Amino acid sequence: MMRRTALNSIIAIGLGLSASAALASGLGGVEAAKDRQVHFKEMGKAMKTIFDQLKSGAPDQSSIKVQTALIADHAKALPSWFPPDSGPSTGVKMQALPVVWTDKAKFAEKAHNLQIAAAKLNAVAQAGNTAEFMPALKATGDACKSCHETFRQKDPD
Amino acid sequence: MILGAPGAGEAETPLRAVRVWDLPTRLVHWLIAALIPFSWWSATHDHLSWHRLSGYVLLGLLAFRLIWGVVGSSTARFSQFVAGPRTVLAYARGRLGESRIGHNPLGGWSVIALLTVLALQIGLGLFAVDEDAIEAGPLSKFVSFDTGRAITHWHHEIFWVLVALIAVHLVAILVYVLRRKNLVGPMITGVARLSSSLTAPALASPTRVILAAALAASLTWFVAHGLSFKS
Repeated sequence: MMRRTALNSIIAIGLGLSASAALASGLGGVEAAKDRQVHFKEMGKAMKTIFDQLKSGAPDQSSIKVQTALIADHAKALPSWFPPDSGPSTGVKMQALPVVWTDKAKFAEKAHNLQIAAAKLNAVAQAGNTAEFMPALKATGDACKSCHETFRQKDPD
Repeated sequence: MILGAPGAGEAETPLRAVRVWDLPTRLVHWLIAALIPFSWWSATHDHLSWHRLSGYVLLGLLAFRLIWGVVGSSTARFSQFVAGPRTVLAYARGRLGESRIGHNPLGGWSVIALLTVLALQIGLGLFAVDEDAIEAGPLSKFVSFDTGRAITHWHHEIFWVLVALIAVHLVAILVYVLRRKNLVGPMITGVARLSSSLTAPALASPTRVILAAALAASLTWFVAHGLSFKS
């Protein structure tokens, strides 16, 4: 019994130590970096679904509306995905360049441009405005690309 | 690669100008040679519209070359230049000499390797999806985002296999230059000076060229439109 309690204590102390070590190395930053990659991938998937629908000849409007809403919501949250401790120092394999954290003003401006374009795209889609949809989609895609040119490493694949 | 370097015994036979490669085969060759570097350049400089267009033209050229390999002029036909392993070995050991017109047994396999990897590369490109899913191949709608991204990865890797094969192709041409055989000239003019003891190739008619080109163009159009008849 005694031994068991001692063992448990050792395990508890061990866990506590590793948890604090993880915190010191920025567990929050690591999480943020990983989460943001998931979110960006969701945006890519949403974009693909929209293009696939458009190519299908008979686009499913309700599916497109879901995707534009996701893109608009993600765009709104995007600036919060880059906390100061979520950069390359996390050790997470990433394409986000250090300039994201050094040229904050420009990064914020690019994110803002995306938010405007994505909000417009979603509004146009929800209203079923087909005439305005393609230009709004192009503007959103351009906003993505324009930021990636400066702040994302080129595709390593 | 052409032959007819005078071997022992052939040295005395007079040479004559022979049309070895027909115009379609040469055009396809040089257009592919120009468009592979162009495709690479356009992809690495974010001109994806040009990259796609270049890929479509390459697909058309490849389709034509494959059709031409069955119904084209004799030197373009696979049945004429795809040799078995024994023949290839015998040629590689110098036992066959340069006794035939058109691709030699080794060169024939180089053509097959180049066309196969090119087909693979074009095929992967059709399904490719870029990181933002804004640029995508015409058949990407048949695969998920993740599959499309994996295919894109292989599209990038296979390119270097293609580059390696092209390097081998260029080295082979240099080796023949050292052996005083000019392979580039005939691929430009179509004409080589060969021993008159060799039978001249049978050239396909212009009607065949038009039919094969029309078939290749239709196939390409169909694929570029995502396997759909809608434009």
